[in-house]
Amino acid sequence: MLQEEVRLNSSFASRRGFWLFPLLVVGAGLLATALAAELTAGVPYREVLLGLHFSFLFYGLFTGGLAFFGSDFLERIFGHYALVTSLPETQPLSYRRVMGIYFCKELLFYALFTFAPLTLGALLGTSWSFIVPGRMLRLMASLLPSFCAGLAGAFLVASLYRRSLYAAVAGGGTLLLVLGALLASDGLPQLAWYLDGSPPLPLGWGLALLPALAAALLVGEFHEQALPPVQGYREQYRETLASSEWSRRWAVPAVVAKERLDLQRSRTGIKMVFSFAVPLMMLVFVNWFLDRGLPLEVEFNTIFWGVMVGFFGTMLYSWLNTMDDSSFYATLPLQVPDLVRARLVLFGTVTWWIPALFMGLIALLSRELRLLPLAIFVMAAVGLYIVSYTAWITGLRTNSSLYDATIFARFFLVSVPPMVLLAILSMALEQALPVVMVALSFTCLVLLLATQLFYGRIEHRWAGEEFD
Amino acid sequence: MRDVSFSVERGDFFGLLGPNGAGKTTLLKVLTGQIRATSGEAEVLGLPVAQQPLEVRSRAGIVPEQSTPPSFLTPREVLELVVAVRGCEVDVEWWLEFFEFEEAEGRICRTLSRGQRQKVLLAAAFIAQPEVLFLDEPFINLDPLVQAKVRDWLSEYVAGGGTVFLNTHMLENAERLCNRAAIIHRGRIRSLIELEQLRSQGTTLEALFHEMVA
Repeated sequence: MLQEEVRLNSSFASRRGFWLFPLLVVGAGLLATALAAELTAGVPYREVLLGLHFSFLFYGLFTGGLAFFGSDFLERIFGHYALVTSLPETQPLSYRRVMGIYFCKELLFYALFTFAPLTLGALLGTSWSFIVPGRMLRLMASLLPSFCAGLAGAFLVASLYRRSLYAAVAGGGTLLLVLGALLASDGLPQLAWYLDGSPPLPLGWGLALLPALAAALLVGEFHEQALPPVQGYREQYRETLASSEWSRRWAVPAVVAKERLDLQRSRTGIKMVFSFAVPLMMLVFVNWFLDRGLPLEVEFNTIFWGVMVGFFGTMLYSWLNTMDDSSFYATLPLQVPDLVRARLVLFGTVTWWIPALFMGLIALLSRELRLLPLAIFVMAAVGLYIVSYTAWITGLRTNSSLYDATIFARFFLVSVPPMVLLAILSMALEQALPVVMVALSFTCLVLLLATQLFYGRIEHRWAGEEFD
Repeated sequence: MRDVSFSVERGDFFGLLGPNGAGKTTLLKVLTGQIRATSGEAEVLGLPVAQQPLEVRSRAGIVPEQSTPPSFLTPREVLELVVAVRGCEVDVEWWLEFFEFEEAEGRICRTLSRGQRQKVLLAAAFIAQPEVLFLDEPFINLDPLVQAKVRDWLSEYVAGGGTVFLNTHMLENAERLCNRAAIIHRGRIRSLIELEQLRSQGTTLEALFHEMVA
């Protein structure tokens, strides 16, 4: 399974890019440790640790999320994919056993691929930091069970989903309650072990592995397929095609129509909403955490949230690339840029309501409805900029391409500086309103010009490339 | 692939035969512009494939091996998509009836059996009545009745001036349908055959295949 995982991941992007990723993580660990004093200035020590633990817990939930979508996800983007996890279909192996082994593989893979390089980088970084290497090792040892807890939680939800959606929702809800209780009580066993030496670390591991054990025991041996429902109605494609004619200037209407039906019938929209909600909740948590920890209050206004929501637009584009296997298009007189453009049209016209809905909610809850029009303009500019760049550099393989360290680094360098600038401007809004408004508008116009540039390069980059 | 050199004339029913992993699918993908050859030239209908892959695919019908039709479209919608992309005026109903999709009306392709999905791929390739058909293991997963139907249709298509390039390792179908064939093994063409000549020599395609490949 481990060998399969390495081959699968390195097939997503180049082998060189895949193996560069741990180097990137070493660098990140080194920098974070070397700058630890500056990054955590004024924040109580316990708050910093709590933030780290919950960050790793969410990271585990995120990586385990692939287990939630599992073979469905892989089959959609890669066609029929036969992995070792499907062996119980033909071999005398139980799904329970395979689920348990799969979990162990995931934990080992991320421990070797992420934790080990991160620890190495952090240890190297202690040379420029106040942190003692032994203490850093102890910290990393305490963070791994938190990651494991997140991973195990995602596996539990996946296992319950195999039985029924209601079981998955109930299980997910219970997990959230437990997390909330841990947050309210301000303690995780592994955090307490790191600070005070007790309780013993195995307790933290035990609690973290409990959901994984439950996941393995609860996974059903049979996956009952519901009777296939009748989809849509006879004229649906033709009507969708007719209503997509306006897009002829930018894309092939027949492809836009097909992608619209895919979006609707695959229920990817629901997943898009959830994938938006999770990182935004993380940001809310960070905002609350900074509020508690810093002597100065940092208030993120609606404009700031507009920048963030625009950035997360890249996730919507990435979801559009996971709806279905695109190899069928290779049998038609079409090229990859035709499909990329169709999905960009869909992003701009059909999925816009998700970020707009979030922006409306944020403005309402913050009582900043007066900032909503500007925030939406910022959100749209950032979103179009990020997504057009993502489309240019990743084409149809957004998720897998970002595993390539070189592509990830380019994405980082293009996306982060303008976002940081806009975030800083948003925070200065109240102090110098006219100047900031001009600066924000100018920055957004520059982003929109860059969007045109990236969009124009899609044809050159992806013409002649394979669909699969 | 190495030293692959052959030609197929208009009106030929050409079979590319070979064991698993011989290079049949790779060659077909090169001919249809899905992948680029590292060296050499390929022309289809007088068009250089590497430079004009879109033009080649606009005049060819392709049935890929191990591929699936769009998961979330019904068979009817897949054919409507193909017709819309190719800009042709054809009777979708006729093809739905030909491949007996009445039971699958309203069901998206991912809920269909493999054989039904294969029929969708065949219909999508045949519907535009292209000048040339590239078929990669087209009979896979089809029941004997549908296989017979498809064979009859292909024979009529070629008799009407069409050209077929058939990849298969099912020699009985090749023997029935093809007038010319090539045997490929480990990326090289081992033999170019006129089937009429073969029959006149009192030998079979299977015997020759075994001799070339074994």
